[in-house]
Amino acid sequence: MVPQLSWYLALSAVLFTTGVVGVMIKRNVISMFMCIELMLNAVNLTFVAFSSFFRDVTGQLFVFIVMTVAAAEAAVGLGIIISIFRNRESLDVDDASTLKL
Amino acid sequence: MLALLFILFAGMAVGCALSMVAQRNPLYSAISLIGVFISLACLYVTLAAPFIAAVQVIVYAGAIMVLVVFVIMLLNVEEEERQPVRLRTLVPIAVALAAVFFAETAFIIFFVQTSPATPTGSVSDVGLTSSIGTGLFTTYLLPFEITSILLLMAVVGAMTLARRGGLIGANVGVVPGYQSFAREVLDPMATTDLTQVEARTSREAEELLGVSDSPHGHDEG
Repeated sequence: MVPQLSWYLALSAVLFTTGVVGVMIKRNVISMFMCIELMLNAVNLTFVAFSSFFRDVTGQLFVFIVMTVAAAEAAVGLGIIISIFRNRESLDVDDASTLKL
Repeated sequence: MLALLFILFAGMAVGCALSMVAQRNPLYSAISLIGVFISLACLYVTLAAPFIAAVQVIVYAGAIMVLVVFVIMLLNVEEEERQPVRLRTLVPIAVALAAVFFAETAFIIFFVQTSPATPTGSVSDVGLTSSIGTGLFTTYLLPFEITSILLLMAVVGAMTLARRGGLIGANVGVVPGYQSFAREVLDPMATTDLTQVEARTSREAEELLGVSDSPHGHDEG
């Protein structure tokens, strides 16, 4: 029995939903950040599955660019997290409810 | 065989993802997330995409997670304490919305399942590094170049966000920070004198020790 495309899509949906739930229930900024990374990976899995099943390389190029954006997001996001922690001595998102750093 | 591998790695991915959301300590969450990334890399290999699998392990499980773990340890994050659930009235609405979402997902998956079968069989070169490089440098050259500009902006933005105060002033000496210098470091002639002075810069320490104008005083570089 060979895995079907729908299997990969279902797995991707489960992972994405897990990430969404994590973003909603977590209060720690770093945990929310990691849940966002999980959602990006779920979308990447969809791209690669379609690319493999339709024999088109475009999906994998999209994955490459998504990974680059994720790396840039990690650098800037963690810089923001360090800056918030320096100013508020806390990583709780409820403490950072104003846009001022 | 492929189905067995899919079930194995999909189970690992889902289990690690659930464990990541359930953990209260961010460090354990990070380790679970690395498990998800590794499982997804194995799934990419079964999808005949070896380049993406390698990049997944190197960039995600390597670079990004090292950065995240570094920040967790730098900030010394503690476990989240349990807080009382607010907005308890919204729980039934959340359950209803989740049921709607699940129904929609099942509907979509059902129609993908009954769609005509995709062509399979012959070995393709879609996932190989050469075909990805060809696509990246011909058809998608402009997004590739824009990506490089994005990375440059990320470097500048991260440096701007993470530095504290202004840049190092012009009159600061070689080594920033308060530290103690041994006398023999500053004055090579006084090898037996192990007196230590505390200063912010090596130049200040030389002035305190009175060796700054000695003929044997050394210059940095």
